Amino acid sequence: MRKLLGVSALAVAAAVGAAVATDAIAQGKVYKIPTVVKISGIQWFNRMEEGVKRFAGETKHNAYQVGPAKADAQLQVQILEDMIAQKVDAITVVPFSPEALEPVLKKARDQGIKVVAHEASTIQNVDYDIEAFKNEDFGAQLMDRLAKCMGEQGEYAVFVGSLTSKTHNQWVDGAIARQKEKYPKMTLVGSKNETYDDQQQAYAKAQEVMRAFPNVKGFQGSASTDVAGIGLAIEERGREDQTCVAGTSLPSIAGQYLESGAVDAIGFWDPADAAVVMNKVATMVLGGEQVKEGANLGVSGYENVKLEGKVIYGQAYKLVDKTNMKQFPF
Amino acid sequence: MRSLLTRNETLVALIILAFCAMTAAVDPRFLSVTTLTDLIRNGIVIGMFAIGVMLVLVSGGIDVSFTAVAAFSMYSATKLMVAWGVGDQMLVAFLVSALLGLTLGLVNAVFIGWLGLPTLIVTLGTLTAFRGFLLTFVGSQLITNVPPGMRAFSRSMLFRGTTADGAFFALPTAVLFLVGAVLVTWFILNRTMLGRSIVAMGGSREAAARVGVNVRAIQFFVYGYVGVLSGLAGIVHASLARVANPFDLVGLELSVIAAVVLGGARLTGGHGTITGTLLGVALIVLINNSLIMLGIPSTWQNVVIGFLILLGTGVPAWQARRRAAAAA
Repeated sequence: MRKLLGVSALAVAAAVGAAVATDAIAQGKVYKIPTVVKISGIQWFNRMEEGVKRFAGETKHNAYQVGPAKADAQLQVQILEDMIAQKVDAITVVPFSPEALEPVLKKARDQGIKVVAHEASTIQNVDYDIEAFKNEDFGAQLMDRLAKCMGEQGEYAVFVGSLTSKTHNQWVDGAIARQKEKYPKMTLVGSKNETYDDQQQAYAKAQEVMRAFPNVKGFQGSASTDVAGIGLAIEERGREDQTCVAGTSLPSIAGQYLESGAVDAIGFWDPADAAVVMNKVATMVLGGEQVKEGANLGVSGYENVKLEGKVIYGQAYKLVDKTNMKQFPF
Repeated sequence: MRSLLTRNETLVALIILAFCAMTAAVDPRFLSVTTLTDLIRNGIVIGMFAIGVMLVLVSGGIDVSFTAVAAFSMYSATKLMVAWGVGDQMLVAFLVSALLGLTLGLVNAVFIGWLGLPTLIVTLGTLTAFRGFLLTFVGSQLITNVPPGMRAFSRSMLFRGTTADGAFFALPTAVLFLVGAVLVTWFILNRTMLGRSIVAMGGSREAAARVGVNVRAIQFFVYGYVGVLSGLAGIVHASLARVANPFDLVGLELSVIAAVVLGGARLTGGHGTITGTLLGVALIVLINNSLIMLGIPSTWQNVVIGFLILLGTGVPAWQARRRAAAAA
């Protein structure tokens, strides 16, 4: 009986597989598309791999994820060289250092391999680069959350990893611009506080901001550890209810502070969705299609994309609070 | 009197007082219990590191691997706590972390005491090696869900309260680790033969060996002791931050060494006091945590810190040269 079940299950699987496979074949052929990530084994890229598998399952293209054991541009170049030697159809890549990958990506494209990148809006040797959102828009979204929590009034402070981290400063500048435009009763106190992507620094700076500006009500963080450090300082002072914290982070880092209410909202994008979009764009390019302004790429947040040169922008921000953080286990 | 005035400790204490006066003039709220407890809280881990580094400097060596030792011990101890299912046994965490620190410290000691290699080179090597081993074989993922024992320890306070104008203050129990490190190290340095041998070895290794000091044994003790202190500092840090981050701590070496040198310990060995070290730590922590109140923008904060280090170490060095010139 068990054997019979096994056999019939196999038959069903084969039938379904064949049906979908003909789908892929009907469009042309089954493409081999590796997704090369910065580093294997961390939660962020494990989540991305789920997206790659989802894409492979839905389209029957041979899509899979590879990445070096540690984040190192040279190791990533080696993997890309391997992929070129294997004559893959397209490569999707999340570069550790865009500049370092330019030569090897040029080589790939010279051999007819299509290249789609993610988180590398300055990169040259690609067909397209996918960005989950415009950084200024994302910062403004975080400000909207912060303002809502603060009742649209009071003092707030902003934190960046470093004054040289471009994205952090774009988020914060976007947020400050939104505050000036829409929330006149809110005031920024102090300058941009630098945390060097270090939770202890974010903690100490948050303590000091609360000493220097006792009425401060809001905090916006940028590095993923910022809100955790700020949340810890707020929790120790028992000010969860008097203060609001919003910033870029992940549930795996800020979860305990979201639960306690010390942090009110965090924002990020879903690497799984980004992976699906990268692969989808890669197959479009392989099929000779172009991505046009306003195109719908069939993934939530990428239904009406903006195009600037080779860079495709979505509106794929996920803003998460304690009610829905469990949906994003990474 | 003259000697008191020319001592490093006096100079650092004066800089601290001047800095406090300046900050208080800009923002009178600086003078509060909250400021004091916040600063002490932020000085616990740096203070424990600094005590260890001071001992190594006194012994005539230098250790730059202590942050990697701390990160390794802290992260591995946290992982083991989870794996053994003893998440609420904080004592186990302290013991395991201290033992791991001791082991790594003794690895340094083998290269330094046994093979006689230069301390800077050995510890630069082990700094990278310990960290690499940790990230490759132990793990590279943050543990944000730290065991309940560590959370309870981070929430436990010696005292807490609210000031008249409504500001909250609290001093974590973890500060007892710094107090303990200070007392034990003071006792060893000033009340035991071992301590005198460490100072003697730092002053002149050759002379110490000739009067019968077992130089190799002393080096094993010094690097093992620093390892234990680092292991404990690591687990205290992870508990206070409520996250075991394997990428943490490394990078703090130079700030700690700067604090110790500010406090009058000499890189050439044989000199260094607990008081000076604590003052050096106090100054570094004070500067790092007061520039927002002074209204100094982020970009300038590093300039100010660098300048104060130059002042704090440069003036005593200049005075020493002048004295030497006057004597000659």
